Amino acid sequence: MFNPFEDFKDFLSKAKGLPLDQLAAAHDQVIGELARGYGKLVEQELKSLVWFVEHNRVIEAYKTATEVIQGIDYDAHSIEDFCYVLDSGTGIPYLISGPAGIYVAALCNHTSDDQIVLRLGDMQRTLHFLGYRLPYGKSLRIEGDAGNFTGSALQGGEINVTGSTGDWTGAGMTDGKITIHQHCGRNTGEWMQGGEIWVGSRIRGLGRMTAGRIYQSGEPVAGDVLR
Amino acid sequence: MENGKYRHTVRQLYDFIQSHLYFTRPDVQIGGEQFNSTLLFTLITALTGGKALIMGEPGLGKTTAAEYVSSLVYQLPVGTVWASEVSGHPEQTEEKIIGRPDLGKLNTGQEEVVWSYFVQLPVKIVDEINRLPETKQSMILDGVDRGNWEYLNEMFLNAEYCLFATANYQDQGTNTIIAPLLDRFDVLVESRYPGPSYAFMISQKQDKEGLLRHPDLEWKLQEGLKKRQATKEKESHIAAISEEFATYLKESLKLDTLDRASRKEVRKEISAMTLDQDANAFTRMLLAELSFCDRHGQKRSNEVCEEGCHYTGYLCHRLRNCASNRLPVSLVNYAKALAWFTEASLVGIEQIRAVGPYCLAHRAQWTDTHLSLLEKDRRNDPLPIHLARQAINEVFQRYGEQAEHVKAALATGYRIFQGEPLETVSGDHPLYAEIRKDLNLER
Repeated sequence: MFNPFEDFKDFLSKAKGLPLDQLAAAHDQVIGELARGYGKLVEQELKSLVWFVEHNRVIEAYKTATEVIQGIDYDAHSIEDFCYVLDSGTGIPYLISGPAGIYVAALCNHTSDDQIVLRLGDMQRTLHFLGYRLPYGKSLRIEGDAGNFTGSALQGGEINVTGSTGDWTGAGMTDGKITIHQHCGRNTGEWMQGGEIWVGSRIRGLGRMTAGRIYQSGEPVAGDVLR
Repeated sequence: MENGKYRHTVRQLYDFIQSHLYFTRPDVQIGGEQFNSTLLFTLITALTGGKALIMGEPGLGKTTAAEYVSSLVYQLPVGTVWASEVSGHPEQTEEKIIGRPDLGKLNTGQEEVVWSYFVQLPVKIVDEINRLPETKQSMILDGVDRGNWEYLNEMFLNAEYCLFATANYQDQGTNTIIAPLLDRFDVLVESRYPGPSYAFMISQKQDKEGLLRHPDLEWKLQEGLKKRQATKEKESHIAAISEEFATYLKESLKLDTLDRASRKEVRKEISAMTLDQDANAFTRMLLAELSFCDRHGQKRSNEVCEEGCHYTGYLCHRLRNCASNRLPVSLVNYAKALAWFTEASLVGIEQIRAVGPYCLAHRAQWTDTHLSLLEKDRRNDPLPIHLARQAINEVFQRYGEQAEHVKAALATGYRIFQGEPLETVSGDHPLYAEIRKDLNLER
């Protein structure tokens, strides 16, 4: 006998998820991969309970971070979300500001997006080394405060911090521009070899610069402009 | 000629008519393209051998549209098309419409029928059908239903034909077209006022009919039609003259047309188009709403839909009659033709929704309450098409909300029908109840 529903013989009711669920699942997967990458970096770096900021150690940590993030498909939004995952401490055992900041800096430097915005105003802790080695063509806007060594070893990128930064801002930077809308700490521009640091308000102390310029409230305070 | 070339030829015909013969505004959008519904559906009717009722105010091109399209699609000079037209008036007789006895032979005791041009030619145009008394309307539509004409003891068979009937809006001189007769028309379209700019253009191009006239060939055709020959011989004679006219069109207007074999191929291609699952399920959903009655088993025009029924939110509550089996046939045939014409690979919901209002408009008998609610709506369409369009849009919205569920219900229906011990998929729509009925699980 003729089946009147013959045309639907091949219809398979696919369990179709909501688009938002699919997006959330993809997002969770990326954050999971970023967290695993950070875990590997921490494993490598935590030889002792204290993480010392030594030039070679920073370079090594950055190298490791660059290696562990290879192959992860993330974007600028994922970096911001990862910062909050770090801050919340869920799923990530240790937030060590140094390696964490270097890891975030490596993520910023290797994302395909040229403009990165990190809204970190609500974070409980500040991350160090944000903007470390930011290359030419990239800009990083930090909404909120950043920790020590912000924009250190900057390589031509532009950093804009809406809040304040800690000590050693722009340390060893070779080129680029750092704008801090509020204050910055001691040793600002230490070993600076080029580029500009613009500070909106108070600078607690200037570092020993080789070249470059530092401005405070629009006025030059250090560097080759004064010579 | 390969597939795309037939379509190209038909497109050229549409464009030619639109730019040289029938000036009017586009009023439907399909596949991102704008078309004029009267011209589009007239062309599809001629191509598929359908039946179209063209309504409109006097002098707005109802008959003209049919004449131009028929002339070009069937390669007949427009003068011959005019000669074969039946004009609707109360004194019209069967002898003038279908055929008459050969009086000369009758005097010698022999009965032989002289068939009218209307019967013999594949193009059948009835001008002002609603001025014909209902019995005469019925006579024409009976013949057109099967292409089978009878007079005395003789029969004339049309292998290929289409029908266009025009009708003015109701006035003192018109009769009603009764529902069973209306149902035989595949589509209802309105030839509407083209707007002042196009109307002005018409005044500038008064010689346009001359493009499709050919007095010599018209005379030849007339002689051929008068001849007492076997049907097949006559058909080949007409085909030969049509070919001459096609050559004339090609030379004078650079216009390709379709011969009989090509038209047959076009119909084959159109018929081979398939509906995608959404178009299929949507059509079933629409048909369910147009025929369902929870209380009485199905819609019947002599039964009243009571208030308080669970299904009062569906179309069935607003209708007085039941959808006939001719509705899905028209719907699918025209949607297929439209998909073919617009180069769609499958017939989708878009095509069903595009043809739906024109297939449903003349068939749906809405309740007075529903009519009084919607007749004052702001609209561009005549009321029957407007109501049908609204109804189809409403069903489309419901389909959008439960498309996957409806398809799952139909797929489950398939499996239950095959004997699998499954539960039917239930939901709040007449279609779910109809599926249960198909599976003999409900009265």
